[in-house]
Amino acid sequence: MRRKPAETARHLVALSRRSTLAIFRQPALVGPSLIFPLFFAALGSSAFSRAISLPGFPAVDSYLQFTLAGTVTQGVLFGSVTGAAALATDIQDGFFDRLLAAPTSRTSILFGRLAGSSLFGAMQALVFLLVLWPFGVTVQAGILGYISIVVAGFLTAFAVGALMSVVALKTGSAEAVQGTFPVLFILLFLSSAFFPRETMSGAYRRIADLNPISYMVEGQRSLSIDGLSLTALTQTLAIPTGIAILTTLLALRQLQSRLASR
Amino acid sequence: MNTQRTVGILAKRSIRNIRRLPSAFFPALAMPIFNMIVFAGTFFAVTKIPGFPTDRSINWYMPLGIMMGAAFGGVGLGFTAIRDIETGFYDRLRMTPTSRTSLVIGPLVGTLTRIVMMTTIVIVLGIALGARFTGGVLGVLCLYAAALGLSTIGAGWGLGLAFRFKDMRGAAIMQLSIFLVMFLSSAQVPLNVMSGWLHTVARFNPATNILRLSRVGLVNESSPDHLAWNSVWGGLLAIALISALTLGFAVRSLQKLSD
Repeated sequence: MRRKPAETARHLVALSRRSTLAIFRQPALVGPSLIFPLFFAALGSSAFSRAISLPGFPAVDSYLQFTLAGTVTQGVLFGSVTGAAALATDIQDGFFDRLLAAPTSRTSILFGRLAGSSLFGAMQALVFLLVLWPFGVTVQAGILGYISIVVAGFLTAFAVGALMSVVALKTGSAEAVQGTFPVLFILLFLSSAFFPRETMSGAYRRIADLNPISYMVEGQRSLSIDGLSLTALTQTLAIPTGIAILTTLLALRQLQSRLASR
Repeated sequence: MNTQRTVGILAKRSIRNIRRLPSAFFPALAMPIFNMIVFAGTFFAVTKIPGFPTDRSINWYMPLGIMMGAAFGGVGLGFTAIRDIETGFYDRLRMTPTSRTSLVIGPLVGTLTRIVMMTTIVIVLGIALGARFTGGVLGVLCLYAAALGLSTIGAGWGLGLAFRFKDMRGAAIMQLSIFLVMFLSSAQVPLNVMSGWLHTVARFNPATNILRLSRVGLVNESSPDHLAWNSVWGGLLAIALISALTLGFAVRSLQKLSD
Protein backbone atom coordinates (compact mmCIF):
# COMPACT_ATOMS: atom_id res chain seq x y z
CA MET A 1 0.00 0.00 0.00
CA ARG A 2 1.49 3.33 -1.07
CA ARG A 3 1.06 6.14 1.46
CA LYS A 4 1.27 9.89 1.15
CA PRO A 5 4.50 11.30 2.63
CA ALA A 6 2.48 13.51 4.98
CA GLU A 7 0.66 10.47 6.33
CA THR A 8 3.93 8.57 6.86
CA ALA A 9 5.39 11.62 8.60
CA ARG A 10 2.35 11.79 10.91
CA HIS A 11 2.79 8.12 11.86
CA LEU A 12 6.48 8.68 12.42
CA VAL A 13 5.89 11.66 14.72
CA ALA A 14 3.27 9.75 16.74
CA LEU A 15 5.47 6.67 17.15
CA SER A 16 8.57 8.77 17.87
CA ARG A 17 6.67 10.63 20.57
CA ARG A 18 5.54 7.32 22.08
CA SER A 19 9.05 5.83 22.13
CA THR A 20 10.61 9.02 23.52
CA LEU A 21 8.07 9.27 26.34
CA ALA A 22 8.50 5.56 27.07
CA ILE A 23 12.25 6.03 27.62
CA PHE A 24 11.84 8.99 29.96
CA ARG A 25 9.03 7.29 31.89
CA GLN A 26 11.41 4.51 32.97
CA PRO A 27 14.07 6.11 35.18
CA ALA A 28 15.40 2.65 36.04
CA LEU A 29 16.41 2.26 32.38
CA VAL A 30 17.61 5.82 31.87
CA GLY A 31 19.49 6.24 35.17
CA PRO A 32 22.30 3.69 34.78
CA SER A 33 23.37 4.89 31.34
CA LEU A 34 23.72 8.40 32.77
CA ILE A 35 25.21 7.54 36.16
CA PHE A 36 27.74 4.82 35.28
CA PRO A 37 29.71 6.77 32.65
CA LEU A 38 29.94 9.71 35.08
CA PHE A 39 31.02 7.35 37.87
CA PHE A 40 33.78 5.93 35.66
CA ALA A 41 34.84 9.44 34.65
CA ALA A 42 35.09 10.44 38.33
CA LEU A 43 36.96 7.22 39.11
CA GLY A 44 39.37 7.72 36.22
CA SER A 45 40.05 11.34 37.16
CA SER A 46 41.41 10.17 40.52
CA ALA A 47 43.01 6.91 39.42
CA PHE A 48 44.71 8.15 36.26
CA SER A 49 45.46 11.75 37.21
CA ARG A 50 49.21 11.03 36.91
CA ALA A 51 48.86 9.12 33.65
CA ILE A 52 48.34 12.30 31.61
CA SER A 53 52.08 13.02 31.78
CA LEU A 54 52.91 9.72 30.08
CA PRO A 55 54.34 9.82 26.54
CA GLY A 56 51.51 9.41 24.04
CA PHE A 57 48.95 11.38 26.04
CA PRO A 58 47.79 14.65 24.48
CA ALA A 59 48.51 17.85 26.41
CA VAL A 60 45.51 18.13 28.75
CA ASP A 61 44.89 19.78 32.10
CA SER A 62 43.22 16.73 33.60
CA TYR A 63 42.27 13.14 32.84
CA LEU A 64 38.65 14.28 33.07
CA GLN A 65 39.24 16.56 30.07
CA PHE A 66 40.80 13.64 28.18
CA THR A 67 37.99 11.23 29.02
CA LEU A 68 35.07 13.51 28.08
CA ALA A 69 34.72 11.93 24.61
CA GLY A 70 34.99 8.42 26.07
CA THR A 71 32.31 9.23 28.64
CA VAL A 72 29.91 10.53 25.99
CA THR A 73 30.47 7.52 23.73
CA GLN A 74 30.20 5.03 26.60
CA GLY A 75 26.90 6.48 27.81
CA VAL A 76 25.38 6.72 24.34
CA LEU A 77 26.42 3.16 23.38
CA PHE A 78 24.88 1.69 26.51
CA GLY A 79 21.74 3.82 26.38
CA SER A 80 21.00 3.02 22.75
CA VAL A 81 20.21 -0.61 23.54
CA THR A 82 17.04 0.55 25.33
CA GLY A 83 15.12 1.49 22.15
CA ALA A 84 15.86 -1.81 20.39
CA ALA A 85 14.93 -3.77 23.53
CA ALA A 86 11.62 -1.87 23.55
CA LEU A 87 11.04 -2.81 19.89
CA ALA A 88 11.60 -6.47 20.82
CA THR A 89 9.17 -6.06 23.72
CA ASP A 90 6.61 -4.63 21.26
CA ILE A 91 7.03 -7.81 19.20
CA GLN A 92 6.80 -10.03 22.29
CA ASP A 93 3.67 -8.45 23.74
CA GLY A 94 1.84 -8.21 20.39
CA PHE A 95 1.88 -4.41 19.99
CA PHE A 96 3.95 -4.81 16.81
CA ASP A 97 1.21 -7.07 15.34
CA ARG A 98 -1.48 -4.55 16.25
CA LEU A 99 0.50 -1.82 14.47
CA LEU A 100 0.72 -4.05 11.39
CA ALA A 101 -3.02 -4.70 11.51
CA ALA A 102 -3.58 -0.94 11.49
CA PRO A 103 -2.84 1.12 8.37
CA THR A 104 0.50 2.20 9.84
CA SER A 105 3.54 2.95 7.74
CA ARG A 106 5.92 -0.03 8.18
CA THR A 107 9.12 1.96 8.20
CA SER A 108 7.77 4.40 10.78
CA ILE A 109 7.49 1.49 13.23
CA LEU A 110 11.26 1.09 13.02
CA PHE A 111 12.20 4.76 12.74
CA GLY A 112 9.75 5.73 15.47
CA ARG A 113 11.64 3.49 17.89
CA LEU A 114 15.02 4.72 16.68
CA ALA A 115 13.94 8.36 17.11
CA GLY A 116 13.32 7.82 20.82
CA SER A 117 16.73 6.31 21.55
CA SER A 118 18.49 8.82 19.26
CA LEU A 119 16.96 11.79 21.08
CA PHE A 120 17.97 10.15 24.33
CA GLY A 121 21.53 9.79 22.96
CA ALA A 122 21.67 13.50 22.17
CA MET A 123 20.30 14.32 25.60
CA GLN A 124 22.90 12.08 27.25
CA ALA A 125 25.73 13.87 25.42
CA LEU A 126 24.32 17.22 26.54
CA VAL A 127 23.99 16.05 30.15
CA PHE A 128 27.61 14.81 30.22
CA LEU A 129 28.86 18.09 28.78
CA LEU A 130 26.88 20.11 31.33
CA VAL A 131 27.74 17.95 34.35
CA LEU A 132 31.48 17.92 33.59
CA TRP A 133 31.63 21.63 32.69
CA PRO A 134 31.86 22.90 36.34
CA PHE A 135 34.89 20.60 36.76
CA GLY A 136 36.79 22.50 34.10
CA VAL A 137 35.92 20.19 31.20
CA THR A 138 35.26 22.41 28.23
CA VAL A 139 35.13 22.00 24.47
CA GLN A 140 37.86 24.12 22.89
CA ALA A 141 36.03 24.14 19.54
CA GLY A 142 33.38 26.38 21.09
CA ILE A 143 29.66 26.29 20.40
CA LEU A 144 30.12 24.39 17.12
CA GLY A 145 32.11 21.77 19.04
CA TYR A 146 29.38 21.40 21.67
CA ILE A 147 26.71 21.07 18.97
CA SER A 148 28.82 18.54 17.04
CA ILE A 149 29.24 16.33 20.13
CA VAL A 150 25.50 16.43 20.85
CA VAL A 151 24.72 15.61 17.20
CA ALA A 152 27.31 12.80 17.35
CA GLY A 153 25.42 11.46 20.39
CA PHE A 154 22.23 11.44 18.31
CA LEU A 155 23.90 9.76 15.31
CA THR A 156 25.74 7.16 17.39
CA ALA A 157 22.56 6.23 19.24
CA PHE A 158 20.76 5.97 15.88
CA ALA A 159 23.51 3.77 14.40
CA VAL A 160 23.74 1.43 17.37
CA GLY A 161 19.97 1.43 17.86
CA ALA A 162 19.51 0.34 14.22
CA LEU A 163 22.08 -2.42 14.68
CA MET A 164 20.35 -3.65 17.82
CA SER A 165 17.01 -3.43 15.99
CA VAL A 166 18.32 -6.05 13.57
CA VAL A 167 18.63 -8.40 16.55
CA ALA A 168 15.21 -7.33 17.87
CA LEU A 169 13.50 -7.93 14.50
CA LYS A 170 15.33 -11.20 13.92
CA THR A 171 14.69 -12.73 17.35
CA GLY A 172 11.71 -10.79 18.72
CA SER A 173 13.33 -11.20 22.12
CA ALA A 174 14.26 -8.35 24.47
CA GLU A 175 16.60 -10.76 26.28
CA ALA A 176 18.49 -11.42 23.05
CA VAL A 177 18.90 -7.67 22.53
CA GLN A 178 20.15 -7.21 26.10
CA GLY A 179 22.43 -10.21 25.52
CA THR A 180 24.29 -8.31 22.79
CA PHE A 181 25.21 -5.62 25.32
CA PRO A 182 28.60 -7.25 26.13
CA VAL A 183 29.55 -6.91 22.44
CA LEU A 184 29.24 -3.12 22.74
CA PHE A 185 31.20 -3.24 25.98
CA ILE A 186 33.99 -5.17 24.27
CA LEU A 187 34.02 -2.82 21.26
CA LEU A 188 34.27 0.19 23.57
CA PHE A 189 37.15 -1.25 25.58
CA LEU A 190 39.00 -2.35 22.44
CA SER A 191 39.18 1.29 21.38
CA SER A 192 40.94 4.46 22.51
CA ALA A 193 37.92 5.57 24.58
CA PHE A 194 39.82 5.50 27.89
CA PHE A 195 43.51 5.71 26.95
CA PRO A 196 45.22 6.97 23.78
CA ARG A 197 46.11 4.41 21.12
CA GLU A 198 49.68 5.74 21.25
CA THR A 199 50.08 4.22 24.73
CA MET A 200 48.88 0.77 23.68
CA SER A 201 50.98 -2.02 22.28
CA GLY A 202 50.94 -5.24 20.25
CA ALA A 203 47.72 -6.94 19.10
CA TYR A 204 45.62 -4.73 21.36
CA ARG A 205 46.93 -1.62 19.60
CA ARG A 206 46.23 -3.17 16.19
CA ILE A 207 42.62 -3.94 17.17
CA ALA A 208 42.16 -0.38 18.49
CA ASP A 209 43.61 0.89 15.19
CA LEU A 210 40.92 -1.03 13.26
CA ASN A 211 38.04 -0.11 15.57
CA PRO A 212 35.91 2.75 14.17
CA ILE A 213 34.93 3.73 17.72
CA SER A 214 38.56 4.82 18.25
CA TYR A 215 38.32 7.38 15.43
CA MET A 216 34.88 8.57 16.47
CA VAL A 217 36.09 9.18 20.04
CA GLU A 218 39.30 10.80 18.84
CA GLY A 219 37.32 13.25 16.70
CA GLN A 220 35.28 14.37 19.71
CA ARG A 221 38.45 14.44 21.82
CA SER A 222 40.18 16.65 19.31
CA LEU A 223 37.22 19.09 19.33
CA SER A 224 37.41 19.11 23.10
CA ILE A 225 41.17 19.45 23.53
CA ASP A 226 42.61 20.98 20.35
CA GLY A 227 39.75 23.04 18.99
CA LEU A 228 37.89 23.17 15.70
CA SER A 229 39.30 21.38 12.67
CA LEU A 230 37.84 19.79 9.57
CA THR A 231 39.39 16.41 10.41
CA ALA A 232 37.92 16.42 13.91
CA LEU A 233 34.48 17.41 12.62
CA THR A 234 34.60 14.73 9.93
CA GLN A 235 35.61 12.05 12.42
CA THR A 236 32.96 13.18 14.90
CA LEU A 237 30.07 13.30 12.45
CA ALA A 238 30.92 11.29 9.33
CA ILE A 239 31.85 8.04 11.09
CA PRO A 240 28.58 7.65 13.05
CA THR A 241 26.67 8.79 9.92
CA GLY A 242 28.36 6.11 7.82
CA ILE A 243 27.69 3.42 10.41
CA ALA A 244 24.09 4.66 10.76
CA ILE A 245 23.49 4.32 7.01
CA LEU A 246 24.88 0.80 7.00
CA THR A 247 23.00 -0.39 10.08
CA THR A 248 19.74 1.26 8.92
CA LEU A 249 19.94 -0.65 5.64
CA LEU A 250 20.45 -3.86 7.61
CA ALA A 251 17.52 -3.04 9.91
CA LEU A 252 15.21 -2.24 6.95
CA ARG A 253 16.18 -5.52 5.31
CA GLN A 254 15.43 -7.39 8.52
CA LEU A 255 12.09 -5.58 8.79
CA GLN A 256 11.23 -6.65 5.26
CA SER A 257 12.05 -10.28 6.02
CA ARG A 258 9.95 -10.20 9.20
CA LEU A 259 7.03 -8.74 7.24
CA ALA A 260 7.51 -11.24 4.40
CA SER A 261 7.54 -14.20 6.80
CA ARG A 262 4.09 -13.31 8.13
CA MET B 1 21.01 -36.41 58.12
CA ASN B 2 24.30 -35.14 59.54
CA THR B 3 25.71 -31.74 58.67
CA GLN B 4 28.80 -33.10 56.91
CA ARG B 5 26.71 -35.28 54.58
CA THR B 6 24.35 -32.40 53.73
CA VAL B 7 27.31 -30.13 53.01
CA GLY B 8 28.72 -32.77 50.66
CA ILE B 9 25.42 -33.30 48.82
CA LEU B 10 24.74 -29.56 48.38
CA ALA B 11 28.34 -28.91 47.29
CA LYS B 12 28.06 -31.69 44.69
CA ARG B 13 24.78 -30.23 43.45
CA SER B 14 26.44 -26.84 43.02
CA ILE B 15 29.38 -28.34 41.09
CA ARG B 16 27.08 -30.52 38.97
CA ASN B 17 25.34 -27.34 37.83
CA ILE B 18 28.48 -26.42 35.86
CA ARG B 19 27.66 -29.31 33.50
CA ARG B 20 23.89 -28.87 33.69
CA LEU B 21 23.89 -25.08 33.34
CA PRO B 22 27.04 -24.17 31.40
CA SER B 23 25.32 -20.92 30.37
CA ALA B 24 25.66 -19.81 34.00
CA PHE B 25 29.29 -20.90 34.48
CA PHE B 26 30.88 -19.71 31.23
CA PRO B 27 29.98 -16.02 31.62
CA ALA B 28 31.43 -16.27 35.14
CA LEU B 29 34.64 -17.55 33.54
CA ALA B 30 34.57 -15.18 30.56
CA MET B 31 34.21 -12.06 32.72
CA PRO B 32 37.55 -12.34 34.58
CA ILE B 33 39.34 -13.27 31.36
CA PHE B 34 37.79 -10.31 29.57
CA ASN B 35 38.59 -7.93 32.44
CA MET B 36 42.18 -9.12 32.56
CA ILE B 37 42.72 -8.67 28.83
CA VAL B 38 40.97 -5.32 28.36
CA PHE B 39 42.40 -3.67 31.45
CA ALA B 40 45.92 -4.89 30.72
CA GLY B 41 45.59 -3.81 27.07
CA THR B 42 43.88 -0.45 27.60
CA PHE B 43 46.01 0.62 30.55
CA PHE B 44 49.20 -0.95 29.22
CA ALA B 45 51.16 2.27 29.82
CA VAL B 46 50.16 2.90 33.46
CA THR B 47 53.06 0.78 34.65
CA LYS B 48 55.35 3.57 33.38
CA ILE B 49 54.00 5.96 36.03
CA PRO B 50 56.78 6.48 38.59
CA GLY B 51 56.12 4.38 41.69
CA PHE B 52 54.01 1.75 39.91
CA PRO B 53 54.97 -1.53 41.57
CA THR B 54 55.24 -3.68 38.42
CA ASP B 55 56.41 -3.13 34.87
CA ARG B 56 53.92 -5.61 33.37
CA SER B 57 50.32 -4.44 33.11
CA ILE B 58 49.12 -8.05 32.98
CA ASN B 59 50.74 -8.66 36.40
CA TRP B 60 48.59 -5.90 37.84
CA TYR B 61 45.33 -6.64 36.06
CA MET B 62 45.32 -10.45 36.14
CA PRO B 63 44.63 -10.43 39.92
CA LEU B 64 41.94 -7.79 39.34
CA GLY B 65 40.21 -10.04 36.79
CA ILE B 66 40.38 -12.97 39.18
CA MET B 67 39.17 -10.95 42.16
CA MET B 68 36.24 -9.51 40.20
CA GLY B 69 35.37 -13.03 39.06
CA ALA B 70 35.67 -14.32 42.63
CA ALA B 71 33.52 -11.55 44.09
CA PHE B 72 30.79 -11.88 41.47
CA GLY B 73 31.08 -15.69 41.58
CA GLY B 74 30.43 -15.45 45.31
CA VAL B 75 27.38 -13.24 45.05
CA GLY B 76 26.22 -15.48 42.19
CA LEU B 77 25.37 -17.98 44.92
CA GLY B 78 22.75 -15.47 46.03
CA PHE B 79 21.18 -15.61 42.53
CA THR B 80 21.01 -19.41 42.75
CA ALA B 81 19.43 -19.16 46.20
CA ILE B 82 16.79 -16.73 44.88
CA ARG B 83 15.98 -19.17 42.08
CA ASP B 84 15.77 -22.03 44.60
CA ILE B 85 13.46 -19.97 46.83
CA GLU B 86 11.23 -19.03 43.88
CA THR B 87 10.98 -22.61 42.62
CA GLY B 88 10.21 -23.93 46.13
CA PHE B 89 13.43 -25.98 46.38
CA TYR B 90 14.44 -24.15 49.56
CA ASP B 91 11.10 -24.96 51.19
CA ARG B 92 11.79 -28.64 50.59
CA LEU B 93 15.34 -28.29 51.93
CA ARG B 94 14.12 -26.57 55.09
CA MET B 95 11.71 -29.42 55.74
CA THR B 96 14.60 -31.90 55.87
CA PRO B 97 16.10 -32.73 59.30
CA THR B 98 19.39 -30.90 58.75
CA SER B 99 21.16 -27.94 60.30
CA ARG B 100 20.60 -24.49 58.81
CA THR B 101 24.36 -23.90 58.73
CA SER B 102 24.85 -26.74 56.27
CA LEU B 103 22.42 -25.01 53.86
CA VAL B 104 24.92 -22.15 53.76
CA ILE B 105 28.19 -24.11 53.93
CA GLY B 106 27.22 -26.74 51.32
CA PRO B 107 26.62 -24.35 48.39
CA LEU B 108 29.59 -22.27 49.60
CA VAL B 109 31.93 -25.27 49.21
CA GLY B 110 30.58 -25.77 45.69
CA THR B 111 31.17 -22.10 44.86
CA LEU B 112 34.72 -22.19 46.22
CA THR B 113 35.43 -25.20 43.99
CA ARG B 114 34.23 -23.20 40.99
CA ILE B 115 36.43 -20.27 42.06
CA VAL B 116 39.49 -22.55 42.23
CA MET B 117 38.71 -23.71 38.68
CA MET B 118 38.20 -20.14 37.43
CA THR B 119 41.37 -18.87 39.15
CA THR B 120 43.45 -21.71 37.69
CA ILE B 121 42.20 -21.11 34.16
CA VAL B 122 42.77 -17.33 34.38
CA ILE B 123 46.27 -17.80 35.81
CA VAL B 124 47.23 -20.21 33.01
CA LEU B 125 45.88 -17.78 30.40
CA GLY B 126 47.53 -14.84 32.17
CA ILE B 127 50.91 -16.60 32.12
CA ALA B 128 50.41 -17.32 28.41
CA LEU B 129 49.80 -13.57 27.92
CA GLY B 130 52.98 -12.62 29.77
CA ALA B 131 52.16 -12.59 33.50
CA ARG B 132 55.07 -13.62 35.74
CA PHE B 133 54.89 -14.66 39.41
CA THR B 134 57.84 -12.87 40.96
CA GLY B 135 56.89 -14.38 44.31
CA GLY B 136 56.89 -18.00 43.12
CA VAL B 137 54.58 -20.57 44.73
CA LEU B 138 53.95 -18.34 47.75
CA GLY B 139 52.69 -15.63 45.43
CA VAL B 140 50.34 -18.09 43.71
CA LEU B 141 49.01 -19.24 47.09
CA CYS B 142 48.37 -15.65 48.18
CA LEU B 143 46.36 -15.07 44.98
CA TYR B 144 44.26 -18.20 45.60
CA ALA B 145 43.76 -17.22 49.26
CA ALA B 146 42.57 -13.74 48.28
CA ALA B 147 40.22 -15.14 45.60
CA LEU B 148 38.70 -17.74 47.92
CA GLY B 149 38.40 -15.19 50.71
CA LEU B 150 36.68 -12.58 48.59
CA SER B 151 34.39 -15.21 47.14
CA THR B 152 33.40 -16.31 50.67
CA ILE B 153 32.60 -12.70 51.56
CA GLY B 154 30.55 -12.32 48.38
CA ALA B 155 28.74 -15.61 48.95
CA GLY B 156 27.76 -14.70 52.51
CA TRP B 157 26.54 -11.28 51.36
CA GLY B 158 24.66 -12.74 48.37
CA LEU B 159 22.98 -15.48 50.41
CA GLY B 160 22.06 -13.08 53.20
CA LEU B 161 20.40 -10.69 50.75
CA ALA B 162 18.70 -13.57 48.92
CA PHE B 163 17.16 -14.90 52.18
CA ARG B 164 16.07 -11.38 53.18
CA PHE B 165 14.53 -10.28 49.86
CA LYS B 166 13.50 -13.72 48.52
CA ASP B 167 13.24 -12.33 44.98
CA MET B 168 15.31 -10.63 42.29
CA ARG B 169 15.21 -7.25 44.06
CA GLY B 170 18.12 -8.58 46.10
CA ALA B 171 20.13 -9.35 42.96
CA ALA B 172 20.48 -5.69 41.98
CA ILE B 173 21.78 -4.77 45.46
CA MET B 174 24.23 -7.71 45.38
CA GLN B 175 25.74 -6.66 42.05
CA LEU B 176 25.82 -2.93 42.69
CA SER B 177 27.38 -3.22 46.15
CA ILE B 178 30.12 -5.58 44.97
CA PHE B 179 30.78 -3.42 41.91
CA LEU B 180 31.20 -0.29 44.05
CA VAL B 181 33.35 -1.96 46.71
CA MET B 182 35.66 -3.39 44.05
CA PHE B 183 36.09 -0.23 41.98
CA LEU B 184 36.42 2.12 44.96
CA SER B 185 39.66 0.40 45.89
CA SER B 186 43.13 -0.04 44.43
CA ALA B 187 41.56 -2.08 41.62
CA GLN B 188 42.93 0.03 38.78
CA VAL B 189 46.08 1.60 40.21
CA PRO B 190 47.98 1.35 43.53
CA LEU B 191 47.28 3.81 46.35
CA ASN B 192 50.54 5.70 45.83
CA VAL B 193 49.60 6.46 42.22
CA MET B 194 46.02 7.64 42.73
CA SER B 195 44.98 11.01 44.11
CA GLY B 196 41.99 12.95 45.38
CA TRP B 197 38.75 11.48 46.70
CA LEU B 198 39.42 7.95 45.44
CA HIS B 199 42.66 7.78 47.42
CA THR B 200 40.78 8.63 50.62
CA VAL B 201 38.04 6.08 49.95
CA ALA B 202 40.39 3.31 48.78
CA ARG B 203 42.61 3.71 51.87
CA PHE B 204 39.73 2.72 54.13
CA ASN B 205 38.18 0.16 51.78
CA PRO B 206 39.07 -3.36 52.98
CA ALA B 207 38.96 -4.56 49.36
CA THR B 208 42.24 -2.64 48.90
CA ASN B 209 43.87 -4.93 51.49
CA ILE B 210 42.51 -8.05 49.83
CA LEU B 211 43.69 -6.87 46.40
CA ARG B 212 47.11 -6.13 47.87
CA LEU B 213 47.23 -9.69 49.21
CA SER B 214 46.36 -11.02 45.75
CA ARG B 215 49.23 -9.06 44.17
CA VAL B 216 52.10 -9.63 46.62
CA GLY B 217 53.54 -12.35 44.41
CA LEU B 218 53.17 -10.40 41.17
CA VAL B 219 54.76 -7.03 41.94
CA ASN B 220 58.44 -6.34 41.25
CA GLU B 221 60.92 -7.76 43.73
CA SER B 222 62.05 -4.20 44.48
CA SER B 223 58.53 -3.18 45.51
CA PRO B 224 57.88 -2.86 49.27
CA ASP B 225 54.74 -4.99 48.74
CA HIS B 226 56.69 -7.97 47.36
CA LEU B 227 55.83 -10.94 49.61
CA ALA B 228 55.82 -8.57 52.57
CA TRP B 229 53.95 -9.59 55.71
CA ASN B 230 52.78 -5.97 55.96
CA SER B 231 50.91 -6.45 52.70
CA VAL B 232 49.55 -9.86 53.64
CA TRP B 233 48.11 -9.59 57.14
CA GLY B 234 45.70 -6.77 56.33
CA GLY B 235 44.13 -8.83 53.57
CA LEU B 236 43.90 -11.98 55.71
CA LEU B 237 42.36 -10.03 58.59
CA ALA B 238 39.85 -8.34 56.27
CA ILE B 239 38.86 -11.74 54.84
CA ALA B 240 38.50 -13.34 58.30
CA LEU B 241 36.44 -10.51 59.79
CA ILE B 242 34.20 -9.72 56.84
CA SER B 243 33.63 -13.41 56.00
CA ALA B 244 32.50 -13.99 59.59
CA LEU B 245 30.16 -11.01 59.33
CA THR B 246 28.64 -11.89 55.95
CA LEU B 247 28.31 -15.62 56.69
CA GLY B 248 26.73 -14.73 60.04
CA PHE B 249 24.33 -12.45 58.14
CA ALA B 250 23.50 -15.34 55.77
CA VAL B 251 22.81 -17.83 58.60
CA ARG B 252 20.71 -15.30 60.54
CA SER B 253 18.73 -14.40 57.42
CA LEU B 254 18.13 -18.08 56.72
CA GLN B 255 16.88 -18.57 60.28
CA LYS B 256 14.50 -15.63 59.83
CA LEU B 257 13.33 -17.14 56.56
CA SER B 258 12.48 -20.33 58.45
CA ASP B 259 10.55 -18.52 61.22
